[in-house]
Amino acid sequence: MKQKTSHSQEETEVTSGVGSLPVGGENSAFASLSASLEEIRKLKGVIGYIIRSNNSAIVDLPGSDKISEYALLTSEIHESCENIKNQFNLGETETAIIEGKNVKVLCLSVGENRISVLMEKDANHAWIIKRILL
Amino acid sequence: MTQAYSNPLQIIIDEFKNISPEIKRTFVFKTNGEIVACNETTTDDQSKKLATTFLNLSSKAEVIGGIETLTIQGADSQLNITSTNNNYYLTTVSSRSVDVKIVTSLTRVIIPTVMTLMDEISSDTSDNELPQNVESETKPTEEVILSPQEPISNESATEVQATFSSDPPLPQPPVTQFMVEKIGGLLVPSDTVRVDSGVIKKWSDLYGDIQITQIHIETLEGKTTTCKFRPVKEADINAKGIIQIPEKILQSLQTSKGKLVIVKPVITQS
Repeated sequence: MKQKTSHSQEETEVTSGVGSLPVGGENSAFASLSASLEEIRKLKGVIGYIIRSNNSAIVDLPGSDKISEYALLTSEIHESCENIKNQFNLGETETAIIEGKNVKVLCLSVGENRISVLMEKDANHAWIIKRILL
Repeated sequence: MTQAYSNPLQIIIDEFKNISPEIKRTFVFKTNGEIVACNETTTDDQSKKLATTFLNLSSKAEVIGGIETLTIQGADSQLNITSTNNNYYLTTVSSRSVDVKIVTSLTRVIIPTVMTLMDEISSDTSDNELPQNVESETKPTEEVILSPQEPISNESATEVQATFSSDPPLPQPPVTQFMVEKIGGLLVPSDTVRVDSGVIKKWSDLYGDIQITQIHIETLEGKTTTCKFRPVKEADINAKGIIQIPEKILQSLQTSKGKLVIVKPVITQS
């Protein structure tokens, strides 16, 4: 299930599974990253992804029952990592990897775009990072 | 329990900087946010804030089955939080140039092993202490007065002595860490793993005539199984430190290729 939403409507639209707005034309990085993520999505072991900018968001995750939970979690990961980074002077955060029991989440920021890729635990996240940052 | 953990953990954590100077900060916290051990370069405020932030995040991570590890890579430094086997979280902050193998060994092998040992010691202690307390409370001492003519029976004493063997006790099974490889094929039995032959030889040398037919495998997440084993085929020259596990056992252990497991031989004293 792939959804494009405006940022202000993101939560309601993602959870309700309706609504679609075109990707902001002024954010070419967003468009380029979205294209890369669309290719990454086809890789074995990749479950889905979420990309958000200030104006737009794309959620491509299977099923509809867990989308809001994933969206909430990835948003929280980005926020928490930002806090932790500042607390421990880690410098500019490049990536964050969170491994759960079944799923691994890769989070990274490229400019104003926040990317989260959900994958199976044995998927090669290093390769995906390279692919995104190409 | 916390006190039991705290001192050995503190000692080990203090040694981290000697093992790998790139590890700048290390601390352990519990699922309730309590800081159990902390190195001197980390302030209370830092460790407590991190624990709070992480636990808050963890509470929202049920959708991915909770958080086992979190790694944040900054430009020069990285922070890693690893869930140990007992609801404790180990945090390390290190430079990006740190040797990943050393950090993995410390965070995923050494600390969980120490915690497991501490658990065992702690439970052994409480097992030994509890019955004594119960006995003293519930069973008042009974005095038995024997008449001078009644001979004291030596039967029970003989029985007790008979239970001791003259053989020296067997050594504790050695624990070896392996990296998992998947094995498959038509001729591969699904209930048998293959182990580095060098390790099997060490077991044979250690236990002599005792035949070892099974091994006990434990993942770092605490899943265990016991199964048959064979040596890795000689053709696999890169099999040092490797355990080859068929799909069925991988599933039961919920592990996969590249993960670490701890293996020890099952010794049955005949």
